[in-house]
Order: sequence, then structure tokens, then C-alpha cells
Amino acid sequence: MNVDVEALIREAGTAGPGRIRAAARLMTIAEGGSGAAVNVLGKLAGAPEPRLVLGLTGSPGSGKSSLVDRLLQHCRAENPDSHIGVIAVDPSSPYSNGAFLGDRVRMMRHAGDPNIFIRSAATRGHIGGLAAGVFGMLKVMGLAGCDIVLIETVGVGQMEIEIESLADLVLIVLAPGQGDAMQFQKAGLMEAGDVFVVNKGDCAGAAEFHAQLMASVRLIDHDRKQRGPDSVRLVSAREDDGIAELLDYLDRRRDAEADRWLARRRTRLGTHLRAAVLELAQRRLEAEWSALADSDPVGRVLRGETGLAELSDALLRHAALNNV
Amino acid sequence: MASSIAFAAQHPPVRILIGKVGLDGHDRGAKYVAHVLRDAGYEVIYTGIRRAPEEIAEAAVQEDVAVVGLSFLSGAHIALFRRVIEQLRRRCAGQVVLVGGGTIPPDDVRTLKSMGVAEVFTPGTSARTIVDRIGQLLDKRQVA
Repeated sequence: MNVDVEALIREAGTAGPGRIRAAARLMTIAEGGSGAAVNVLGKLAGAPEPRLVLGLTGSPGSGKSSLVDRLLQHCRAENPDSHIGVIAVDPSSPYSNGAFLGDRVRMMRHAGDPNIFIRSAATRGHIGGLAAGVFGMLKVMGLAGCDIVLIETVGVGQMEIEIESLADLVLIVLAPGQGDAMQFQKAGLMEAGDVFVVNKGDCAGAAEFHAQLMASVRLIDHDRKQRGPDSVRLVSAREDDGIAELLDYLDRRRDAEADRWLARRRTRLGTHLRAAVLELAQRRLEAEWSALADSDPVGRVLRGETGLAELSDALLRHAALNNV
Repeated sequence: MASSIAFAAQHPPVRILIGKVGLDGHDRGAKYVAHVLRDAGYEVIYTGIRRAPEEIAEAAVQEDVAVVGLSFLSGAHIALFRRVIEQLRRRCAGQVVLVGGGTIPPDDVRTLKSMGVAEVFTPGTSARTIVDRIGQLLDKRQVA
């Protein structure tokens, strides 16, 4: 790819008219998963960082995108100078590799706001609730001047908690009808939440759901998470109810915990770089495997002509040497 | 941090924006085409109905799409396409491939093409034709 990454980085970091376009291009490279993506990550290591990275996760249809829409509305009203980025992840088809990225529909009223940058991402086979390129996209959002970045995961189940490795605060978005206290006791997703947002507060059963969740979350004093009574919220994105209060709460936590979060982001950097290298390694491995197809590697192993260890060593060695 | 084997071996999917501009709310065709393109391996960013030309252009830039597809059943296709093109150029995104669809008379199809719309799909066009034609337009762009 003969794209001048350095020029894009320069342009994305300035206030010129090409800022958004350059940043968007960099994000495409970052999510492309090639050597160029790792290259971009390396060049962005010292880029400005957002003050707050907020993760929103929860089941499909619990209202994550609608909540993002309301948070954008209130953030912008309270801080006219702020720049906000949104990375909204939706699933890729494991059958066609295509995707329908529909989160933006809920946020379209912000499309004309020059201070809001919304980017949709498809998972492209990545497991964990995010896409492999999200870390790089987040870095580009920082470079492009976003103070706050909201990351919306795919609709998740009980175990996709990768968002915890990127966000300063993880908001679990829930809706009435999604189980009772037994669900709240389970390991996985519920352990990853810093804040629990019961959405659809205008729907039947919301108050009871909220009360049960409150009792479960507060049952145990958590070492890793600061879960005071305020950490369980009841809101309605549709009715715009409780959103301003939620934002106030998030602001207070940021003021109190920002220094700790910054330090934590630095310790996580190694994890993300390793993940990017792994993605790259997998690409190269697949290319190497395709190149070997003619020599029937599976047949050779089955006939005992090649040992599996020998084959995997050869694959890894070639993948390491050959740039794709 | 796993990734599926099928994905790792392939080029990143091409991104396409599908949306509707203006006051017309008939979105069945746009949703159908979005679904067809998804099944053909494209990443479709769907904007929904009643968008302003500025919103479509800004979304196209932020999403860095290769193609913008707009559906019209209102009769306002020429005026609205003109504004979308103008807004894309203003954002240095004039090279995005534009396609249109809907109830568009043959004369207007010619006018749209002279304005820079690469292809127009009128009622009765098969899903296969849409997918093939968009593929051709993207191939042509890569050669150019």
C-alpha cells in the first residue's frame, strides 16, 4: 500500500479541513490488520490521549446506541468546545464476511456536528466484543483531538469482556426482562462492569429490575471495582430520563480517578501491541498455509511423511520471514 | 483476542454507505440492497431515512467508504444527488463511487450519470446485477 502514513498523521493532528478525512483513512489502515496497521500503531504511540474512554456493552437491543446518542447530546450541550469520538462495533458475518453496521442510525442527529466523529467497525472474525482494529482507531481518535471517546461493543452475551482492556470505565447496559438476581450472580460480564445502567426505565418492570440489580451488585464489596450505590443507574434513553445525572456521576468519577486511569492505560499498552502482533502473525500464517496448499501438507502429516511439530515449525519460521 | 481463520486470509472487506436523503421514508428497497450487499461480503454502513446531504457526506468521510448508495422514491433524486456530490467534494471526498436506486425515469438516469453517478438501479434490477455492477465499478476504480 503506497499511502503516506506520516502525511496522514500530520494532517489528522491539525485543525485543517482534511483532518477528519485523514483520520478516517488512518482508521481504515488500523483496522486492515496488515503490517501497515502495526506501523500506524507504532507511529501513534506518543499521540495525544482522550481524557475519558467510556465503554458501553450489553445484550443486543438493550439500548447501547440510543444511550450513546443521549450521552453525546448532553456532553455537547454542557461542553460546547469538547470533541467526542464514537467507535461503534457490530458483528461481521461468519458466512459472507459482510456486515450490517447500523449503530449510526441511532446517532444520526449528530452527523452534522463538526465536533463529533462517529466510526462504525465490523468485528471481522474477532471474538471478545470488539474488533481487532479498535485499539488503533482509539489512538487515531486521540490524535484527531477527541477529549472523550465512547466505545460501543457488539451486543454481547456473558463472556465478551475485552472492552475492559480499553475503557477507563465499563458501562453494562441492561434492560428490564433480562433475567433476575441469578443472572447478576454469574461470572464474566457482570464482573467487568464499573457502572450498571438499567435502560428502558419507562418500560414495565424497570424499577424492580433496578432494585434487584442494586441488591446483587452491593452484596459484595469489590476489590477491583468501586461499586457504590451510585454505580447502579436507572435511565430511559428514549425519554431522556436520568441521562444528565449519569453524566454528572461519570464526570465525578473521572475527576477522582483520572490519574489512576492514565497509569493503567500505560500498563495495558503491552497487551494491545501483543494483540496487534498476533493478528499480523495470523495473517502471515494463513498466507503461508495457502502457499503450501499444492504440497498437500495435511496429506503428508496423515501419511506420516512429516511430523506435525516439524510442519508447524516450518510454518512459523516462514511466516516470520515473509511479509504479507 | 482470537480471530477467525477465514478472515485472516483475506483482504479487508470494502465499505459501502447506504442511505436515504430527503423526506421520502420508503426504506424497504434501501434495506433490501443493504442486506444483499452484506451477503455479498461488503460492510454496509446504514444511515436510515430522511438524512440531509451534509449528513450523508460527513458520514461517508468519517466511515471512509468506497461507495455511497442512495435510494430515492420521491422524485427529488437530481436535486438531492447534486447536493450530496457538492458536499462530498467540499470534504475532498469526490472520488467516492456513487450509485443510486429507485423510481428514476430513463432521462433522469442519463442526467445523473452525466453528473457523476456511476450507476442507477431501477425497479426490477436483480440482486445479482447490483452486486456484479458494484464489483465492476470498484475494479475499474482500482485500475484507474
